Amino acid sequence: MVGAGMTQFGELFHLGIKDMLPMAVSEAVASVDKGLDRTDIQAAWFGELVTTDGFATGILADTCGLLDIPVSRLENACATGNDAVRHGTMAIASGMYDVVLVVGADKVRETSSRTTFWDWMGMTRDAAWDFPLGLVAPANFALHAARYLYESPHATREHLAMVAVKNHHHGVTNPKAQMRFEITVEQVLAAPMVVEPFGLFDCTPQSDGAAAVVLVAEELADRYTDRPVWVRGTGLGLDRVMHQHKRDMTSFPPTIKAAKQAYAMADIGPADVDVAEVHDCFTGVELINYEDLGFCEKWGAAKLIESCDTYVGGRIPVNPSGGLKAKGHPPGATGVAQCVEIFEQLRGESTNQVDGARIGLTHNIGGPTAVSAITILGTDKG
Amino acid sequence: MTEIAGIGTYLPAWGTATVRQTGDDEDAVTLAVAAGRAARTAAGPDVAVSSVVLVSRDLPLIEGGNAAPVLAGLDLDEHIHVREVIGGSAAALDEVAAAGPGTLVIGADAAGAAGASAVLCGGTGRTVTVTGRVVRSLPVTTRDQHGNTTDYADPRLLRERGVGESLARLGNPAAAAVAGLAGRDAAALCGGPAPVLPTTGASATGFAIAALAVRAGSVIAVDHATVTVAELSGPPPPVVRDEPEPQPRPAGTLAPGASVSISLSAYERAFDAKVRLAAGRCAACGSLSLPPRRRCIDCGSEAPADLAPLPRDATIYSLATIHVPVPGLVSPYTIVIAELGDTGVRTIAKLTGAPPGSVAIGDRGTLVLRLVAVRQGVPDYGYGFLPVHRGARGVAA
Repeated sequence: MVGAGMTQFGELFHLGIKDMLPMAVSEAVASVDKGLDRTDIQAAWFGELVTTDGFATGILADTCGLLDIPVSRLENACATGNDAVRHGTMAIASGMYDVVLVVGADKVRETSSRTTFWDWMGMTRDAAWDFPLGLVAPANFALHAARYLYESPHATREHLAMVAVKNHHHGVTNPKAQMRFEITVEQVLAAPMVVEPFGLFDCTPQSDGAAAVVLVAEELADRYTDRPVWVRGTGLGLDRVMHQHKRDMTSFPPTIKAAKQAYAMADIGPADVDVAEVHDCFTGVELINYEDLGFCEKWGAAKLIESCDTYVGGRIPVNPSGGLKAKGHPPGATGVAQCVEIFEQLRGESTNQVDGARIGLTHNIGGPTAVSAITILGTDKG
Repeated sequence: MTEIAGIGTYLPAWGTATVRQTGDDEDAVTLAVAAGRAARTAAGPDVAVSSVVLVSRDLPLIEGGNAAPVLAGLDLDEHIHVREVIGGSAAALDEVAAAGPGTLVIGADAAGAAGASAVLCGGTGRTVTVTGRVVRSLPVTTRDQHGNTTDYADPRLLRERGVGESLARLGNPAAAAVAGLAGRDAAALCGGPAPVLPTTGASATGFAIAALAVRAGSVIAVDHATVTVAELSGPPPPVVRDEPEPQPRPAGTLAPGASVSISLSAYERAFDAKVRLAAGRCAACGSLSLPPRRRCIDCGSEAPADLAPLPRDATIYSLATIHVPVPGLVSPYTIVIAELGDTGVRTIAKLTGAPPGSVAIGDRGTLVLRLVAVRQGVPDYGYGFLPVHRGARGVAA
């Protein structure tokens, strides 16, 4: 990975998808230390959850000056971003291409905020069996969190709130973040309820944004930079689609499967991870992620957040960018933007730098909690 | 003359001691199924149902389609004859008196004072015999095909020239119960204390017959100026009442928004399993899947699966209460994942008959037929979770 860039995340009413894509791509191209001639790019992958303004790949090619290369669109629910990075990696690894662009974007706030949850629900539910129930996106995750809180000997709603407090704290220093203000546990607990046990501050905002990374073959890396970030591992895991078929709702099996693949490919374990950007669309999800990713033992998440060990400066800093919670969550862009943050962390350039970070992990969980994609990046080739 | 094998009644959980109202997830079909199931329980497993008559003025699908969910909800075979009758209490009494053994006559009232009753005919010795009938017209209230209603608003005219004149033509018969009239008018005709019935439409007849279960006497059933009188005699029939204590209907908020779209192809494929609450049973390993699936969830066999009925007792595994507005739905609402009996099968269902947020993980309940949604005009039936303990931990709406 030799370049990375992203737009501001937020309610970008003044920008369309045709604005955001060239902004992110140009920033990624400009970030390449020794320069990148756009004509060097041989293929592109575009992760987008919801089509905006029409034909996705054509819009990317047309708006970014990439009309002479193949562009493919990829959609894999909220795991779209990291899965797009995985596909770009495979394209390089196959030997077919030497320079690949991976872009993720979504224009969520192109429709009324009132209908967004409903629009997303239609994409993730069975047309006959659970669509008419009103199982909106926060409920997908609340069903897990409610059972997790019931079974966990330690975790309470206060621990969920601590996740929101941490990620808001991290987001303050990130100029690209949507929500750059501190909150308190008391504010989180007093906020209006969205879907129990998630109040307003337990939920990601609705965001627009785009992010892009440039991947090149190992042999070409030094043509572009003397300090590339290496893709050490990728993984993608799935699970039963319907919640009634998930036997243990206190964890996300897709994460466990994706992590197993990615750790094996990188030949590392969870203890080797210096910094992580994980999917915190709802606070309780970050707690479950700690356990599924191996950052702590089962039911250890409450103590991990309590101890402040997932703050920057702690044992395993999580979401230094502010995470989905504070940075924002344009689904297709989210995973790619996590890689942008880790790219900067591993080059010592983050606005919320983890000292000496050498290995970073990015993680998405999405759909009806049925797909996870993970990327492991490192300063060393490994 | 008809013999009665069992009587079932159902009242929605919402309303007051005198007037019940349906929940958002109830209509004449779900009310009818609840009463019908109670009647089948009352009559016992030895009384087979060979035909169904549904009497109502609130049938949800005038173009057809009500009968199938009624049969499915009652666990009755799809080959059974269902007759839908538009009518009130006199029509319902006529249907009961004309019914043969094995006929289940259900009266269902969804609009206004809501409730349903069902009479399963068969041989216990309790007989219903029509002793008089007058069919006359005095339509003081009307409802057209679009549901628009008008009220002539002249109760004395109805009392004197409607009911009064019709009964006079029958020689002013004595009555132990009156169906189809409000309490005071009914008491006046009985010449003393009369059973107070919760409804005045088609279901009132079954409520009247149930009220007279332990004594004999005549029932007068009134639809405007049309009157049917029947004599009840013989030993008391069994009655099962599904009549929960009334509680105020939660003050939810309907969020504006387009009607939820429906795929009728998906509706048709799912119907039998979804409305009968039946799992796919793998032909190879016997494992149960809800919804049924092409490839077995356990052993991977793709041999054709058959449908197996699922138990309806359920325990909450997890739940979520949605407080935010969702277009086209009434918020707040609670969704539960519940385990069915000891099958290991779980289903996902909305909470019914109890305020949103009033249940917890581990709570027990029953799955009951409910209207999951109305999508593009199509009633979409499925199962709701009715907790055993209702309303104990309600949240403010």
